[in-house]
Amino acid sequence: MSYILRIDPTRCRGHAMCALVHPDGIELDRWGYGQVVDPECDDRRAVRRAVRAAAACPNGAVLMMEVVQGARSGRPQGTSPRGPTEEGRMAGESGLR
Amino acid sequence: MIDSLPVPRAVPEAPAGRSIAGLGDPGARLLAGPAVGAETLAAHVARLGPLSPPAGLADLWQMVAASGLRGRGGGGFPSARKLEAARLAPGEPVVIVNVAESEPASRKDHVLGSCRPHLVLDGAVAVAALVGATEVVVHAHRSKTGGGVLRAVDRAIGERRRAGLAEPRWLLSAGPDGYVSGEASAVASFVDGGVARPRFSGNRMATEGPSGRPTVVLNAETVAHLGYLAHVGLDGWWAPDAPDGPRLVTLAGAVSVEGLVLEVGGWATLGDILQQAGWSVPPAAVLVGGYSGTWIDGPTAWSTRFDRPGLHGVGGRPGCGLVAVLPHGACGLAETARLARYLAGQSAGQCGPCVQGLAGVADGIEALVAGRLRRRGLHRLEVLSSSVVGRGACSHPDGVAHLVASALRVFAADAAHHLTGRTCEGTGHPPAFAVPTDRPTPVTWR
Repeated sequence: MSYILRIDPTRCRGHAMCALVHPDGIELDRWGYGQVVDPECDDRRAVRRAVRAAAACPNGAVLMMEVVQGARSGRPQGTSPRGPTEEGRMAGESGLR
Repeated sequence: MIDSLPVPRAVPEAPAGRSIAGLGDPGARLLAGPAVGAETLAAHVARLGPLSPPAGLADLWQMVAASGLRGRGGGGFPSARKLEAARLAPGEPVVIVNVAESEPASRKDHVLGSCRPHLVLDGAVAVAALVGATEVVVHAHRSKTGGGVLRAVDRAIGERRRAGLAEPRWLLSAGPDGYVSGEASAVASFVDGGVARPRFSGNRMATEGPSGRPTVVLNAETVAHLGYLAHVGLDGWWAPDAPDGPRLVTLAGAVSVEGLVLEVGGWATLGDILQQAGWSVPPAAVLVGGYSGTWIDGPTAWSTRFDRPGLHGVGGRPGCGLVAVLPHGACGLAETARLARYLAGQSAGQCGPCVQGLAGVADGIEALVAGRLRRRGLHRLEVLSSSVVGRGACSHPDGVAHLVASALRVFAADAAHHLTGRTCEGTGHPPAFAVPTDRPTPVTWR
């Protein structure tokens, strides 16, 4: 199962926790809002960090979206959202942490 | 201010096939029928035949797919793909006809809704049949204009009831008038009982909308096209036309009749349209596709074909079909600054980069017009403007960035003038484009 990392801009309030725990995938823009620079969660390390970023966001703005099979790959439109904390727990329980 | 225009060329005759028609004109397709007022059901049926599509559902799918019809609300998404996604997704789709025409100068959806309600409703019936929906929502503004549209639609539904047509259940919805409240996800959110603000979603709404059901939000013109297609078939809709079929255009700015809606097809150029607007020579510039559209300089616009490929060639897109004309003597940058300020105030206030960025972009372009910006400042404005692209839940910030980028490209000579610390005569010109000022920021979302 693969995921795409996205930030819901309507929820992001610039707490910057995501960029702290996942600096390779998320950078802060000029105002301090998180900006995904590498949405791929293709190895265990990236997945682990993405989960941490999702769990660290106090607003639940960092989302790991499952890439639906058959959808055009890498396009966020072809993904389905999963709640960040829920997903974090799921990924953690399955030994990814 | 563009003051050094080339000598106007002789206007070439429009070759056969080019067609521009107004409401009720012969040769019009969507706008055929009476020249004033709402078309009655009897007149509509007399003109286009019975309401049941002549072809079966499979044929209709075939036609919609082959037509290449794209959404006419601004986004330009292929309608067949949207409908197909909704049909395949689990659950009964919600179908919403979007008549909430939030683009301040655009009138085409209001004209269709109030003058050709049966064509729009026929399209909605076809859409409902295509995706398997039993309910259709017609959504408009609760403003005076929007209310007028809903009353016309309501009367039309009454006529259809009395005629005993087998139809989906109709629901009428009236929502806030804000610029972004007409955006598809905002409309879907409102219809689902939420606020009329754009939503962030990883899913396409056609697969899973705010209600959890597949949700198809189609612009009223798009729906009217589908209705027309269902009635007359592909050949009548298309030939001998541009690749994406006829389009409705609203004229704004320095034109003979502001708010005039025209139907454009058959390889017509912007020059052909401008001639209908009272111009015999190219104007200073044209803003195409809406207030967050694309500036095209007058001479280039004059020979640009008004369809997707033609406009793409000059960095533009048809958008909602607005053609706003900048007269000679007006400053395109000053006009852009007013539009940018208005659009910045229309942010739904949800996404940080949009709220912070658009205000900064408006500040920057105002400073440029006032002669307070230097080369480095202009560079910062360009960087700031491009940094908001793709950073919102909807494409509102992208649109403003696009507007500003095209302004700085088309009015580069004027920008250079303003960079020397001067204003220009054009900045004192009365505003060419009307911007709603009574309510700078939408305060209600429900």
